[in-house]
Formats: sequence, C-alpha cells, structure tokens
Amino acid sequence: MMGSRRHFLRLCAGTGLGFAAPVGLSQVLGNSVQEQAAESGYVGPYYVVFNASGGWDTTYLMDPKGRNGINRLYQDSDILTAGNHRFAPTEKQITAGMSNEDFFQKYGSELLTLNGLDLSVNNHTPCARYMATGKLDSLAYPTFPALAAACLGSDAPLAFLTFGNYAATGNLVPMSRVPYLQSLNLLARADYVEGSATHQYSDSFVNDRIERTLESQFEARVSQARLPRVERSQSMLYSAQTSSKALQRVTPFIPKEPARERLWQQADIALASFCAGVCVSANLSISQFDSHNNNDADQMKLIPEFLAGIDYLLRRAEDLKIREKLVVIIQSEMGRTPTYNNGNGKDHWSIGSIMFLGAGIEGNRVLGATDDEQMLVPLNPVTCELAPQDGIRIRPEHIHLAVRDHAGISGHAFCRQFPLSVPPDEHLKTFLQTKM
Amino acid sequence: MIRSSFIELMYPVMWQVILLTAITLGRISSVCALEPAGDLPESLRSFDREVWARVGERTCLRCHRADGEARESAFLLRKERFSSADQISDRAENFHAFLSMAVVSETTKADQSRILLKASGELEHGGGEVLKTDSAGFRVLTQFVEAVRERSASGASTSELESAALKVWKEEDRREFLTDVTPLSTKKLLRRIALSLAGRLPRSEELARVDSEGRAAIRPILAEIMNEPAFFDRLKEGFNDIFLTTGIEDNAETLLSYHHFEKTRLWYQDFDLSHIPEAEQERARWKLADVYREAILREPLELIAYIVRNDRPFTELVTADYIMVSPYTARGYGIFENIRGQFSNQEDPFEYIPAQLSALTGRDGKTQESLTGLYPHAGLMSMFHYLRRYPTTETNRNRLRARMIYQHFLGIDIMQLAPRTTDASAVASKYANPVMEAPDCVVCHRTIDPVAGIFQDFDDMGYLAPRRDGWYQDIFEAGFEGERLPAEQRWRAQQWLSERIVKDDRFSIAMTEHVYYLLFGRRVLQAPEDTDDRLFNSRRLAYREQRRLIENVAHEFRESGFNLKSVFQSLVHSDLYSADGLSALVETDERRAELDDLGVVRMLSPEQLERKIAAIFGTRWAKLEGDFAVLYGGIDSITVTERNADPGGAMGAIQRLLANDVACAQVAKDFRRPAQERVLFPEIEPDVLPGNATSDERIRNAIVYLHSRILGREDRPQDPEVTRTFELFSGIIQDAQAQDRFEKRETYFCGGREDYRVDDPHYSVRAWRGVVTYLLRQHEFLYE
Repeated sequence: MMGSRRHFLRLCAGTGLGFAAPVGLSQVLGNSVQEQAAESGYVGPYYVVFNASGGWDTTYLMDPKGRNGINRLYQDSDILTAGNHRFAPTEKQITAGMSNEDFFQKYGSELLTLNGLDLSVNNHTPCARYMATGKLDSLAYPTFPALAAACLGSDAPLAFLTFGNYAATGNLVPMSRVPYLQSLNLLARADYVEGSATHQYSDSFVNDRIERTLESQFEARVSQARLPRVERSQSMLYSAQTSSKALQRVTPFIPKEPARERLWQQADIALASFCAGVCVSANLSISQFDSHNNNDADQMKLIPEFLAGIDYLLRRAEDLKIREKLVVIIQSEMGRTPTYNNGNGKDHWSIGSIMFLGAGIEGNRVLGATDDEQMLVPLNPVTCELAPQDGIRIRPEHIHLAVRDHAGISGHAFCRQFPLSVPPDEHLKTFLQTKM
Repeated sequence: MIRSSFIELMYPVMWQVILLTAITLGRISSVCALEPAGDLPESLRSFDREVWARVGERTCLRCHRADGEARESAFLLRKERFSSADQISDRAENFHAFLSMAVVSETTKADQSRILLKASGELEHGGGEVLKTDSAGFRVLTQFVEAVRERSASGASTSELESAALKVWKEEDRREFLTDVTPLSTKKLLRRIALSLAGRLPRSEELARVDSEGRAAIRPILAEIMNEPAFFDRLKEGFNDIFLTTGIEDNAETLLSYHHFEKTRLWYQDFDLSHIPEAEQERARWKLADVYREAILREPLELIAYIVRNDRPFTELVTADYIMVSPYTARGYGIFENIRGQFSNQEDPFEYIPAQLSALTGRDGKTQESLTGLYPHAGLMSMFHYLRRYPTTETNRNRLRARMIYQHFLGIDIMQLAPRTTDASAVASKYANPVMEAPDCVVCHRTIDPVAGIFQDFDDMGYLAPRRDGWYQDIFEAGFEGERLPAEQRWRAQQWLSERIVKDDRFSIAMTEHVYYLLFGRRVLQAPEDTDDRLFNSRRLAYREQRRLIENVAHEFRESGFNLKSVFQSLVHSDLYSADGLSALVETDERRAELDDLGVVRMLSPEQLERKIAAIFGTRWAKLEGDFAVLYGGIDSITVTERNADPGGAMGAIQRLLANDVACAQVAKDFRRPAQERVLFPEIEPDVLPGNATSDERIRNAIVYLHSRILGREDRPQDPEVTRTFELFSGIIQDAQAQDRFEKRETYFCGGREDYRVDDPHYSVRAWRGVVTYLLRQHEFLYE
C-alpha cells in the first residue's frame, strides 16, 4: 500500500493533481502528519462545515436582541450568557434537539463567534456561494473544505465529502456524496461478491495483474499528446480507482445501527471517513431555515436540531479519539430581517454570523457585533475590536483568508490560484488566535 | 435625472470638440498618411483583447448601448455578435466609438483625454467612477488613448486607423482555433452518437454506410436515430436535468388542486378492481396509484418528446395550448371520457396524447376567466408541475418562478453574479420599498418582478388561486422587459409572456445551450471575469469560439422553424463535438487554457452507463439506481440536482465493483453460448492458449474485437494497447499455472454453479474475465 501510494503520488504529480505538505495546524497538533499519512492515510486536521441552509435567525442564537420587535419569544432582559457569549434563551421553546442554554454551557469555552458579517447581497445563491468560497463574483472558486481537501490530502478517496450546500471544487479535487452509511460497506469491499467478507471475485494474483496493467497504461499515456480534459479526467479516474481501495479502512468505523437524525447520519459518515484516513473535510448541512412564514416556529425547530447535530459530531469524535483534530465551522448563508413580515416570517438579511471551534481556535470569544437595529458595527481588523468610526466591514473573504491561514494552506499553489482580494491591512491576523 | 441633464447640457460642447479635433486631424492626415497596417501599435491592434475585453465590454457597455441608461450619449457601443463577419463588423463599430472619444480633449482639464477623465470620475459621468486609476483596465485604456493621440499627431486619421485595424483583425480571424486538434474518426463519431442518443451500438448497416459515404452518412443516420424511442428517453432525461420537473416531493396527484379536481384526482381510490381477487385488490390499488403518480410526473417531459417527435416548433415548449395526458392522468383531470377514443390503448398508463383543459371550475362553482372557455395553456410555464417545482411564498412573490423563466427559457441566470452593494442591510432599511426605490435593488427587480407578476394568480403550491386583494401594489407591474401586461390580457398572462419569449433571440440561444448540455454533459462556458488573470485572453478566446458555435446553431435553429432536431444535427456536426485529440503536445499555458474545455470527455451518468452496459452485453447491470445512482454522481431532482461528473474514491469503488460484477456475470455466460450467438467471444474458445504464433494471433484478434466492442477502439493486432491486454491475459494464465493448484472451473459466483457450470481447466475463462474487468475500468468505457 505504501509503495503504491508513493508511486501514485509520483504519477499524479506530473498530471495536474497536486499534493502538498500541510503546515500550520499540523504543527499545532504535534503530529508528523506526513509520516502518519503515509502509514494510515490522512490523519488530520479534519474540517467540518456545518451549514444551516436557507438562512438562520442569528437573533435566536448567538446574536440576541430582544428589543425593537426583533424577537417575539423573549425580551432583552431574558438574554443569557455563558462566559463571554450572549445568547437567546430557547430551552422553553423547543420540543427536541439541543437548547442554546445547553450548547453554550457545554461549548462556550471553546467557541469563537463573529457577529456582524457582511454578506453584501441577500439572495440564497450568491450568498451561499460567497459564504462557501469567500468570493462573491466568481463561479470558479472552490469552497473552503474543497480547497483544504485539495491542499492537504487530495489522494484520500473521499477527500471532500458533501451532503449539501454549495460545493464547487475549482476542479482541484473531486467531491464525494455518500448518501447513506451502509453504502460504505459495499464500497469498501468492491472486490468481493455482494460486499461479502470472504468471496473475492477474482484471485488476488489476477487483481494484482489488472492493477499493474492499469498502472502501466496510465504511465504510457502521461507522455501522450492529449486534450487537457482528457488528461485531467484520466488522472482523476485513475486516482479515484486507485485511492478507492483505501475505503476498506472505513469498515471498522461504521456504526452497526444508522442514526435516525439527518445531521447525525452525515456526521457518522464523515467521522468514519476521518477515522479511516480517507477524508479531509466535509460539508454537513440541513435545510429549511428559509423561514419566510412562521419564523419563530421554524427556527425553534431547526436551530435545536442543528445544535444537536454539532453536539453529536463532537461527542462521537470524542469517543473515536479524533476530537482534538477537528476544526468546526458553523455557518449559514445569511441572516434574517430585524422585522417580521405579514406572515410572521422573516425575510433575507445580508448581515449574518459565524462560529468556530476546534483545534487551534481560542474559545470563549465574541468578535464583531450588530447594533440594536441589527446593523453591522465595523471592526478594527488588527485588534478585532469594535471600531464604529474607522473599522471595516468584515466580509467572507476576510474570514476565508483567516481560515486559510489557520489551516496553513495560504501559501499553497491552489490558494494562490484562487486569491482573495483582501488588502494587507485588513488581514484578520488575530482572529482565530491559534492556540500553540 | 442628473445624468440626463448633464448630457443635454454637454452635447453641444462635446460635438464642438469632436468636430474641431476631426477637422484638425483631417488637415494633418492630408499631408501625412498612416504607415502600413503591420505597424499599427499593439494597443490598437489588440483593441479587442485589451480595451474591449477589459473595459468596453464589461464596463462601458452596461450603460452606453442603444437600450442602456446612457442611450442618449454620443458614445454608443454594441454587444458583439459572435458569428465571424458580424463580430468583426461589431468590433469595428466599437473601435470607431473608442477612437472618436480618444481624440477628444477636455480643455478645462489641461487637454487631458475626455474618455479617461470620465472613466475615472474626474469629469462628470452618469456612471460615476467606473475605473480606478491604478486598475489594469485604466492602464489599458490609457495606453490606447496615448497610441491614438500619438498616431493622430503623426497625421493618421481615424478612418485610416480603422481600416488598418480591420485588416489586422481579418488576418487574425483566419487563424484556425482547432489547428492542432484531431477529430474523431467517422466510425467513432457514429458510436458516440448511437450510444449517447440511442443507447445502443452502431448497426452493421450504419457502419457500412459510413464506409461508403464517409462523414456525409452521419446526417441521415442521426436523423433516423432521432426517431428511435430510445432517443426520446434520452431527450426527456436530459431536459429533466434542466427543468427538474420530476422532482416533486408530494404524491403527484396533489399537483392537481383539491379546489378544482376534488372529484377526479383520486380516481384510483374508487376504480373498479372487482376483476382481481379480493385479497389482492389492496396491493393492486397501491400499484395503480404508483403508476398514476408516475404518469403525472412524466407529463412535462412528454410534452417535450411530443414536440420533437412530431417536428413541431420547439417554441411550443412555452406556447403549446395543450398538455400531454395519458389514460390515467386524463382521469385525474376529469377528461378521460371525452377523449378516451383518441388513445390507441386505453389501458396504457404511459400513452400520451395532447389535450386541452376547460377553464377551471372551483368547488364554489366559479369558473376562471377565459375568453376561449379553455384553461390558458402556455406549455411548460402553465403546467402545475412547473409551478409546484418552483414554488413561491408571500414575500417571494413568484420571483423564484420569474428567475427560472429567465434561466430556462432565455438563458439568463439573474442570480449567477449578483452585484455587490456597499451595505445591503442599510439599503434595505433606508428605503421604504427598496425593490422599487434603491438603485442597487431596482437593477434586478425591474426585470424580475414584472415577470413574477405574470404568475400572480398562482399560489405557493402552483394552484390557480387569484389573490382576494389583487396583486401587490408595491412591486413593479406585471409585464416583460419594459412592456406592461395589458389588463385585457391578464386572464392569459402566461400566454402573453410566452409569445414574447419565443420572439426573443435569447430563447433560441437558451434552447441551443440546453441541447449542448445534453450532448456535452456540462453547461456552456461563462465569459471569463478576471481581467487580471494572465490567461484571460486565452480563456476569452475559448469562450468566444464556443459562443460563435452556439449563436450560429441558434440561428440555424430559428431558420429551421425551431425544429430542435436541427440543433442536435448542428452541434453533432460541429468541430467541438468531434474534437478528440491533439497532433502535438501543448507547449504553452496560453494554448492549454484555450483548449481547456475542448472535447466531450464526460464521465457517463449512471443512466448512460447502464444503457451502455446493456448495449454491449445485452443486459443492464441494474444496480446504478436510486441511492446508488446518487452515489455515482446522479441526481434525484429534489435535493440533489447537479450531476457530479468528477469521480472521487466512492465512485472509483463503484467502478471497480461494476467491472468485477459485470465481467463476472457476462464472461462465462458468453462462452456457454454457441459461438455465433456470442457478443464478446465470437471467434475464440477457452482452449486457445498463448504460446504459439497461431494461437497468439487468434488471441490478439479476440482482443481487437473486445477493444472495439467495449472501448470503441480501432486497433490493429500489434497495437501497443492490444499488446498490453494480451500480456494481461497471458500473464494471468502464467500466474495461475504457477500456483500449486487451482480450481478447474469458474468460481461459483461467476459461472461455477451447477446449473451454469463452466469448466475452466486452463484458467483461460477467468483470464478472459480479468481482461473484461480491466477493460471495464478504463476511461474509454466509463467516459464518452
């Protein structure tokens, strides 16, 4: 396996598929990432983006208001705190899932919140693209998890998993959709009849011959004059088939009973793939947050479900002993208006929030803010303190640049291929404050 | 308002300056003629690639056009058309406009160039500052202006500059974009068409026709293919990828409203099943309901198939004054008894015929307004499926529907590149009604909202349900592209809209792009946006080459009377469709960028792959369905709506599984057949083993046959690829012989069972299975 992987890297290096040594977080984690990766696939850090698709109501979560008619379920005086976090009370409203009280109590100390994120537009498609890529005006840019997967472990068979949300890859890495957990069992045993554990289709020496012949064919084609699309797709195909054998490592991590909740199912697939060393990043997503009608009822159902999904991932990661390698980004493509419409709903709002927790992220912090009208308060990019007079509007490109830095991939050729237009004096250097 | 006044005020002054300059230049030019075109400064030669691409097209053209905000300005430009002659003539017009402006100086600003001052906002300009002075665009424009002034000072007139530039561009235009690209052989092209559009391999008579007629045979063969039932399945599948109308989450009968179809939409609940034993009736009724639902879901796609099958103008996609119904769905609409005689088989749930609905009558006895007494059908746009698939809300106000109308029928994705506002939240708060007042919002809503108003009588579920209080007043009135919907047309608003859509050239372009998607498996290129990208010009060239094709095909489509088959013919016969390889390695990044998207080179979708397996082996694999299809990049039309054509590890594992499983199922089975009935091994037997010249030759010939059948290759027996496969075959047998012992028959699972027993004393059947497994893993099988 080791030799084959090394050989594969060599082949792909000449064909446009890129690989790089991760720096930054790998040092933080204290691992010799490359060494471990060679032994057992990708060993972290693992990136998980939770997406509340449709636009969450931040005032019912991490940016509470309780005044000016912005919320109907609580008043200003009801707002709760956990450390430096202020949050809306939801315990009395919900029937299932995790309350804000429990979530912030449990995770506040490691949670970083940014309020007052300027999405600049307020339609789903451009906002989702902007949040996911840090670039509003391009369809070509990869999402952060795709970019991280490409830079840190594109030879992993499920390098970038997605369960929804905007998932462009910039042609850097394939995206994988794995809709249900049990399918991994079958895929892990692709050389066995009906996924059985004992009956191979062919004798091992036949399989070896086939693999060697495919390899020699791939090598022979590298030097041929081919259309760029042919070149790219042949490399991608070879990579997909070759790396897919590593899926057999997933089997031990597949839970016997699939979870019932939708985010939990996604989390199980992602975690099994992380543990097996076959995945770098995952988009986890639930939809229906677009509460144009009956905002409060919808948000009170969905936010607790969303938080429970995050909690599940973290708890399971703890059990699987990869919790300290997770970097979790919690986002939505937009916020909701400070006023209710005639249908008791709230419409799109171009100011939002984002949360982070996990490896290398300093918690118990709230940066940025919105005012009593839910308008953005500018931020000093150097100190990350509020600066209403001379601060800047924090936009997704600022966040993405900081996250790229945090992942140690900013200098990677793939990141240079997709630059973010942030002036040097607007870099949020202390934003994530990597814990060393 | 300010801008208009300014233009009115400045007109006389501006023209004086232009005239004075022209007179001066004319005087000079009479004594000093322009040097040959070859000496034209680079910044003028490259007008199209630089000034136009980086400034004119993307900045000035937004307003300075006949239908733009600055339509009263003297500086008017035009959007380039992409057919070769038109493009150069449009370019010449735009060059003329820029030249004319470049020579105009502003006396109050130290004779600086007026166009530069305007662009940088230093001189009053309706568009304000449109170029930063440190931007690449401003730099390019400055170079252009300086070059023009320099030449003018040397005595060249603008007309001389224009004719010199024209000469250069005509020479450049003759350059072959595909000069180093090799096309598919005609036989390979035939195979591609047959598999892609008919889900089968070429027939022997088609191959013979290609042998005798060459490329000319493709047109009539394709015409015949486009009459085959499989073509219409592919057509419907392709258009569902675009319209996604099968993606309805509810039971399909709920598309028919309770209010209008209360007594008929659930007809299956009371359908007489007394001819079935009582114990089986419940199950039979479930099945009846399932089939009925499927029949409803298919209706929009059957409309497309009907139009194309009967060579009707494809404009009927939005203008058809009928829907397609089957015996089952006609019952749902309550019209079965009226039309039952028109069906050839009244028991066939999937036989579709055109039919019209009467104006809908609700449970309250009220009938919708209709001057014809009919439901005002407007093709897909008035079908309940389409309206449900793209629902609305109280605050969305049909804007999603309007957006999809633009995207599906005019090829415009309004949300694709939404313009950034300085502070969208502030805009939303500042104006009482931002969508009608805030310039940042108005720019899109002025287009979207009138079309949204066309659907004002349909509710969130897609049911006809006019609002009690009428349509909203705080939104732009119903209409299309600046034309209001007349009150007397309100009852047939969608028909009114569709009449305008089909007259718009963008309709034919959008339909051409849909067929392009179907044939190429991806959307057409977007114009490159990043002017600072060093490969910008290369990407733009590729984009324009493709646009040229799309616009030419769209033109032919219109000329054909909107026969969609003409689009298939034109695209299939295009160089882009048959681009196959390169005659030499690509040496530069620029050329690589130009060729980046060239060639079909698409990974087959789950449906295509199943059809290809059936075509080659005679039976489908039948596993790339449902969730497994989604895992292999397919769509469910509801939550997964974009196909994934780039394989990752999961898809790679499926490919390995497929190769193992299909080879397992087919190889031994094929050897069991009489030789003349075999599809894989008609001229080889398992007892032919490598080791002597005669048998080696037979084995190589068998491999050539397999390469041809499975991969579509045209190899000779000594081709290196044949040698590679031969070595695999002989290597497996050698390895087997080197084992202490091996089973003398195929494995139990692949032909070893008693009822299908296949002896394999030499391991050759399994070696051939290894060969087929290997071939099924290859790019040439898994891609087209």
